[in-house]
Amino acid sequence: MPRLTIDGREIEAAAGQTVMEAAKDAGIFIPYFCWHPQLSVPGNCRICVVGVEDKGGEWVDIACNMPVSEGMVVYTNSEKVKARRKATLQFITLNHPVDCGICDKAGECTLQDYHYEYNGERSVSVDAKNHETKHYDLSDRIVLDNERCIQCTRCVRFTREITGSAGLAMGNRADHSLVRPSEDGAFGRDAYSDNVIDICPVGALLSKAFLHKARVWYLKPTASVCPGCARGCSVNLWHRKAEWRLRAPGMRAAHESIDRVTPLENPAVNGPWICNKGRDLARVFDRARAEVAMLKGRPTDLEGALANARALLAAAKRPVAVVSSWGSNEELAAFRDALGARFDAYVKADHEPQPGEVLEDSLLIRADKNPNTAGARALFGERPLAIPREADLVLVWGEGFDFGLVPAGAKTILLNAWLAPENGHADVFFPVSAQTERSGTYTNFAGVTSAFSACFPKAAGVADAQALFPLLARADGGGE
Amino acid sequence: MSRKPFVRKQYWNEPEMGLWERAYLPEILRGLLITGGVFLRNMGKWITGRKGALTTYYPEETRWDYAAGNRGKHVLTRRPDGSPQCIACNMCATVCPAKVIEIEAGFDPADAAHPKYPVKFEIDYSRCVFCGLCVEACPEDAIRMAKEVPHLPSGDRWAMWLGREELLAWQPQSDVAKPYPPAPAGRRAPGESA
Repeated sequence: MPRLTIDGREIEAAAGQTVMEAAKDAGIFIPYFCWHPQLSVPGNCRICVVGVEDKGGEWVDIACNMPVSEGMVVYTNSEKVKARRKATLQFITLNHPVDCGICDKAGECTLQDYHYEYNGERSVSVDAKNHETKHYDLSDRIVLDNERCIQCTRCVRFTREITGSAGLAMGNRADHSLVRPSEDGAFGRDAYSDNVIDICPVGALLSKAFLHKARVWYLKPTASVCPGCARGCSVNLWHRKAEWRLRAPGMRAAHESIDRVTPLENPAVNGPWICNKGRDLARVFDRARAEVAMLKGRPTDLEGALANARALLAAAKRPVAVVSSWGSNEELAAFRDALGARFDAYVKADHEPQPGEVLEDSLLIRADKNPNTAGARALFGERPLAIPREADLVLVWGEGFDFGLVPAGAKTILLNAWLAPENGHADVFFPVSAQTERSGTYTNFAGVTSAFSACFPKAAGVADAQALFPLLARADGGGE
Repeated sequence: MSRKPFVRKQYWNEPEMGLWERAYLPEILRGLLITGGVFLRNMGKWITGRKGALTTYYPEETRWDYAAGNRGKHVLTRRPDGSPQCIACNMCATVCPAKVIEIEAGFDPADAAHPKYPVKFEIDYSRCVFCGLCVEACPEDAIRMAKEVPHLPSGDRWAMWLGREELLAWQPQSDVAKPYPPAPAGRRAPGESA
């Protein structure tokens, strides 16, 4: 366990660590562009230079590739280091177009931050800047701006070391280096390709879906869990801050929506990555919502629907429930506590894999496309979905249920968040809140529980399943 | 510790009232005569249709003597080809203290020099405070303010939103949308030959 001193602080580092890692663990910040904790060390950006005290005076080298040694004395802010960093930033921005005004990365750009922190001066170059391809379609999801690229090669290393698709490479030399996709189109097929947008330290790689949708300071992240598969990756859902809500007539649909999805680093589940399906969560949540309770297709209010559902429940001799694997642990527990004794409960898969979707791989994606199957099975057991023929009341919670399974003559109660044709056929229909409108937890396939929080308010006519189940049970003899 | 006795502070401009002022009612009457006189004279001029009343009857009547630096309605300036100079960077919307500017940006890969442009540019004049910070913040000199005020009296608040086309097309008598100064020598747009 080598002991070293960084900026006058004595630190114990693990053997084999680099100065960068030791400093990061100790909470000392050293700037970096090309270094990434999950990727190899190319040492090409040179911004992480630190000074090391030696007999002959202070010498300067990059922290990301320097192993710690016993008794090392490191400075991260000496005059020599500051001057070197400043010169490095001048060099990196030599051909950078500085078009921050129209760059989607502005506001969360590492180069922008470091420039203000460590350089703060105009370019000293008198030469004209190189012009490169401004908009290069890397895939149908990502657009590349070669002028903004600082050739850190993070994206290239990501496709080689994390996903293995080897979909990107550097071509040409020196200040004409360009990131280019491989000719076999492997990058377009890479199910994790959008991660290169996050790891790009500048605005060279941009999401086409988010392109020019909002400046990043208009948005705020809400910690959530991706419901796309049983992995349950931690994600940030970015949506407009309340004060930046759009009000102009015709500017945007009245409902709130997710502007973009980024991974939320969680070493226990997904590390710093998520798959492309997780980036498109807005498509799941922007579907038309069911907002009115119905009795066989006739609109009613929640009270009326509750009274009818209670009557059905009281009359039922053999009630069966099909619970949602998209329900949170709290909702599932509420169902078990309130109605578990009355209902014979089965767990259903709300979403099945879609054609063309990656079914399963060794990195993150799981074959079960529901977030809380493990949590639901822990409460209601694991058995195939087979509704007994003598069932006379079927409560269906969530989507993806085949109503052909309901025995003839049985009454149905349906809880769904989205508009669907079967909503109108149910004897009682309750609109329930979507994941973005409530807080809770999901348990993933490995038993790790992650929490999500609400980011949008729910509509007035929409019920919370967690609050609905105790109300449903109240008048029923089998309840509390 | 002894407490300091309270001494009323004497100001240099203490009001001094004589017996007449302290009698109260005569001064009240004098004040009412002044305001009443102004009111009646104004009223008389308005009824008889003569000019010179102190009050401007907005919106039927607007003032002609706005100061040259008055901050009135916004004007979006244009490039020589007529497209808006705006690059939809949202600096004006971000700096706006009343948060009345809303921009929807579009992407045009064919125009290499200006790939980002405003599809919608909306200003809510019912909330605008006419502070001029948007003009200060604009890096492209794309938004300016004319001295004339917008003529928007309406019973409908949504009618007080003005969009891109109104702001581009509106040309006041003294044209604030002067030609944009030429690009400094030595800078050329990508694709343009030297």
